[in-house]
Formats: sequence, structure tokens, C-alpha cells
Amino acid sequence: MTATTAGMHSVARERRRRNGLSAASLIGPATIIVSIGLLIPIVILFRYSLNQYVPRLLMVEAVTIENYVKFFSDEYYWNVFLTTVRVAFTCTLLCLVLGFPLAYVLARTQTRFKNLLIMMVVLPLFVGNAVRAAGWMTLFGSKGFLNAVFIGIGLVDQPVQIMFTETAVIIGIIAVNLPFMVLTLQSVIEGIDRSVEEAAFSLGASPWAMFRRVLWPLALPGIIAGTILTFILGMNAYATPVLLGGPKFTMMAPLVFGQMQLGNWPFGAAVSFILMVTTLILTATAGYWMQKRYRR
Amino acid sequence: MKEQDKKFSVTRRHVLQGAAAIAGTAALGSSGRAFAQDKGKIVIGTWGGDYARLLNKNIEQPLLIANGWEVVQDQAGDPQRRSKMLAEKRLPRGTTDIQGLSAINMYQMHAAEVTDEIDYSRLENAQYLLPSMKYPFGVGHIYSGKVAVYNPDVVPEAPKSYKDVFDGKHGDKLGIIDIQYQYTMVAAALAAGGSPTNLDPGKELLLEMRKAGCRIYPTNEAFAQGLKANEFGIGIMWKARTVQWQNAGINVKSVAPTEGALAYVSGFVIPKNAPNKDGSYAYMDAMLHHSAQENFAIDMGYNPTVTNAKVAPDLNERIGFTDEQIKNLVNLDSEYMTDHDVELKEWWDKEFKG
Repeated sequence: MTATTAGMHSVARERRRRNGLSAASLIGPATIIVSIGLLIPIVILFRYSLNQYVPRLLMVEAVTIENYVKFFSDEYYWNVFLTTVRVAFTCTLLCLVLGFPLAYVLARTQTRFKNLLIMMVVLPLFVGNAVRAAGWMTLFGSKGFLNAVFIGIGLVDQPVQIMFTETAVIIGIIAVNLPFMVLTLQSVIEGIDRSVEEAAFSLGASPWAMFRRVLWPLALPGIIAGTILTFILGMNAYATPVLLGGPKFTMMAPLVFGQMQLGNWPFGAAVSFILMVTTLILTATAGYWMQKRYRR
Repeated sequence: MKEQDKKFSVTRRHVLQGAAAIAGTAALGSSGRAFAQDKGKIVIGTWGGDYARLLNKNIEQPLLIANGWEVVQDQAGDPQRRSKMLAEKRLPRGTTDIQGLSAINMYQMHAAEVTDEIDYSRLENAQYLLPSMKYPFGVGHIYSGKVAVYNPDVVPEAPKSYKDVFDGKHGDKLGIIDIQYQYTMVAAALAAGGSPTNLDPGKELLLEMRKAGCRIYPTNEAFAQGLKANEFGIGIMWKARTVQWQNAGINVKSVAPTEGALAYVSGFVIPKNAPNKDGSYAYMDAMLHHSAQENFAIDMGYNPTVTNAKVAPDLNERIGFTDEQIKNLVNLDSEYMTDHDVELKEWWDKEFKG
């Protein structure tokens, strides 16, 4: 009897060991790539951020926090940081507001054109950010399509300044990020059984109450994933703010590039590290808060 | 043996056939390369676009590839390429043999001990090189000057100087290019009585222009679009670019300023760890060949840096400078600009644009 039990334990151990090995072989390659391609550069970047900038030598080995002090003590850089958070937050919120109804319709529609509709959402991703921004430029310019229409219908006399404004950047980033939000939400909403919505209605819930008490909590994993994705993309936007924001509008990613361009790698590294850590903290906090607030 | 096993079995015959096929392909490939790489491979770091295309058309194809060199272009913006050079600084063998940079950036890389001193005895065409283009750390390939540009429809009175350009009376009819902050600050300094190493008077003048409502454009291309759309009518730009814009149908005229036009020099440097320095010098010599220089003048509107290049008089009138204007060309002080670049950019971003 004891021998049989010992044998069963041994088989179970062996099975666990095999499962462990197969799991390791599945996650191993991706882990190695992430470690080499992401973690090591991050460590190097952090080390660079503690170095000093000396004009002719460009970067001198040191261990100092002066680059971080410079960033947080200078109103200009602080404003760039706040602008970036504000734009990313606004874009994420608008993507959620605009994306949720679209994702819901895509998830619930029974039409045979469903795949075509999903394809239309994905289609903008086929074009690079810079090319898309160039398209917006032709719309927003002083002699662009929008101004021509506004002047044509007599809405304004003089061209409206749309290019090189924060509004233009927000529109541009939303256009880039919206498909990510819609696709994430659509896949999650599709997994929610329609009957739970019908049950809510049959118990007398209004559409708003059904949305708030049933759909929103059940779609929360998708909402969290979508908002995190679009927030990260918004925080790190480069081409859109450069092309649509113009010279007077700066966000963090273009600031990093500008510092690297000057040869000031230590400060550029510090700025990128601040950007990365802020994005991480804000997304983690928001995700934790949303889960705690709504998932009961 | 089961049928299933037979399907996926690899016999000794298959292995031998496969090995023979790989060996044959490799042999064919290597013989092809041997033909193409008679003299070896030159890897050149350059900007992309027209410049890269013209390097290929005017230098690489006729003067290097035709003579047995293989040339590979590593195209990227100069900040990315300078970053790459710095990152490769500690490596015994770098990845490029020659890099195209502006004069200031050539100096910056030299000061950072990334590039070699040029051995002019290895360049046959160095005898024709203009003395001002003979840097110890790089060779000037083409040059142009920062001239006053204006659209006569918007600003009817032709400017004569930088002072005429940086005049508050133009208000929002003055256009300024963000990425050209170094040259703009020095030009404004010259206009306000300063010098390439005394930019404070220029800073004050620029702040006055800002108050008067000058427009700031992010890039040269955006500036050209604004000029074309009559959003503004006056500014400063390379004469070569003005010629390109005229060719594109933009109504723009240029004037060499009386303070002396700021010279823009684009040249080449050799990284200390270039794997093929014979190739680096072969490329430099080819780029100084009079035919390549003449074609660059025709195709791109930049002036030759060698004395034996012949530019047609009508073309020279459009792209070139008179002897007196050449004598008056003002160079940016590379040492000063390198030492103060971060500080100047911070002023530009915070005070001028902010």
C-alpha cells in the first residue's frame, strides 16, 4: 500500500517536473528576448542617466542625480511633463468614450459585414504614424481642407489655427490609438453573454443601470487593458506631437530625442527614465484602483 | 518501416544532396561577391533622400563601383548616426568607414575623440580643395551660405542684410525655422552687432521679433510650405535650398547679406575604428573629383569645394557667390557652438519659443 502511494507521488512529481519543463520551454525564448532587448538597455539607460554631460566629451562617467534634479527643479521641463500626462490622459479618456460604443456595436452585431467592419477599424494601423500625421496636416493647414470648408460655407473669414496646437495633437493621437482601444474592448465584450444584459433589462434596469451595473464591471478587464495600452502609447507619442504640435509644443518623447540630438545623453537618459517610470506607476495605479473600485 | 515514418525520413542520399546544393549556392554567391568586391567594401553613413541618391549617382556609381568597389549606404539622420558613432567608440572595429556630417558636428565628433585626423597626402584631389574646406578632422564636400530670402509679393522691398530681415516691422511676416536655431541665433547676433562668439545681442533681437509676432516653423519643409502659402514673406535660408524652391515654383528671391552670409558646410569624417580606411580615403577622393562636384552643383544647388570644378556661369549666378561674398562668408565657431550648444538650445526652447 505504502509502496503504491510512494509510486503515485513519484509519478505526480515526474508529471509536475515535465509540465514545469514544458512551461519553461514555452516562456523561455520570449523571456530571453525581453531580457536582452528591454531590461539590459533599461539598466544601461539608468546608468547613463547618472553620468555627467561635459560639452566636448559629451558623457563623463559619474554617479550623480543632477540630471533628475535639473528636470524636476526646472519649470520648463516640469511643464513638458505635465503636458504629456495631460495629453495622454485626455486621449485615453476620449478613446474610451468614443471606442466603447463602437466596440459594443462590433461585438454584438450579427451582420455578415462584421469582419469588414473590424477590418475598417484596423485599417488605419496599416499606415505609419508619420504618414497619418502628414494626412492630418493637409486637413489642418491654413490652406487645408477644413479651413477651405469653413471659409467656403462662410463660418469664418480668416483661416482658423488648427495646426501646431494641442488640439491637433490630441486628434492625431486619438486617431492612432482608437483602434487599439476598440479591438481590446470588442474582444472582451464579445465574451460577455448577451443573456446577462437581457436579465438586467427583464429585472427592470434602465440601459444606463445595465451598463453601469452589468456591462462595465464585466468588461473591466478589457477596459483596463485598453486604457493602459492607449495611455502608454499616448505618453510615448513622438511623430504626432512633432508634426502636428509644431515647434512650441513639446512632449516627453520629442524632448528625449532633442537631448540625444544635442549629445546630452545623461539628461536624455534621465528624461526617458522619468517617462518610463511615470508611465509604469500611473498605469499600475490606475489598473489597481479600477480593479479595486469596480470588481467586487 | 511505416508509411508515416517513410514520409519524414532523411536518408544519407538526401543529406549529401542537400549539402551539395548548399555548397554549390555558396560557391556561386562567393564568386559573385568576389567580382563585386574587387577592391573591398565601403560603408558610408549618410542622410537619406536626395542627398543619398545623388551620392550614389554622382560619386558611387561612376567613380567607385565602376572601379571595383562595393559601396553600402547606412542611411539615417545625423543625430542617429552620431549616436551610433559614440556608442561604437569603444569597439575596435566600427560599422562604417566614412560618415557625412555638418562642419559643427564634424568638430563635435572630433572633440569627442571619435574620428581620425585626415591624412591629406592620401587624397589626390586635395590639391584642388579650397583651404577653408580642409579641416584637420574632416573634408568639406559641398557648401552654401545662409542668405536673406523673401517673397516679393509679400515683402516688396528686398532686404540687404540680416538686420533688414530681423526687423520688427515685418511682424508675423517673418518666418523662423526651429531646427535652424544655431544659425538663426548667430545671424541675429550679426544683425545686432554681435559676433559668432557673442550671441547676447542676437538673443535680445530675437525676443523683439517674437514680441512682434514672428512665425516659427518646425522644419525647412514646413518653412517652404508657409512661404508658398504666403503665410509669411521673409526669413533666412541656405541659398541652395532657395534654388530648389525656385525650381519647385515657389516665388522666392535671395540676397547675400551685407554682414557676410553664414557658411553651411557638409563634409565627411573617418571614424577612428573604420574597418576599411583605404575605402574611406577612396570615397573622399572620389567625392572631391571635379565631375562629382560639378554634378552636385547642378543637381542640388550647392557649391563645389574644389577649384577645378567648372560650374556654368548661369548656374553659378543662381547658386554661387561673388568673390567678395565668398571672402565675406562667416563660419560658425565650432568650438564655441560645441561648448555652448546645450545652453543655447535651452535658451531657444525656454525663452524664445516658450
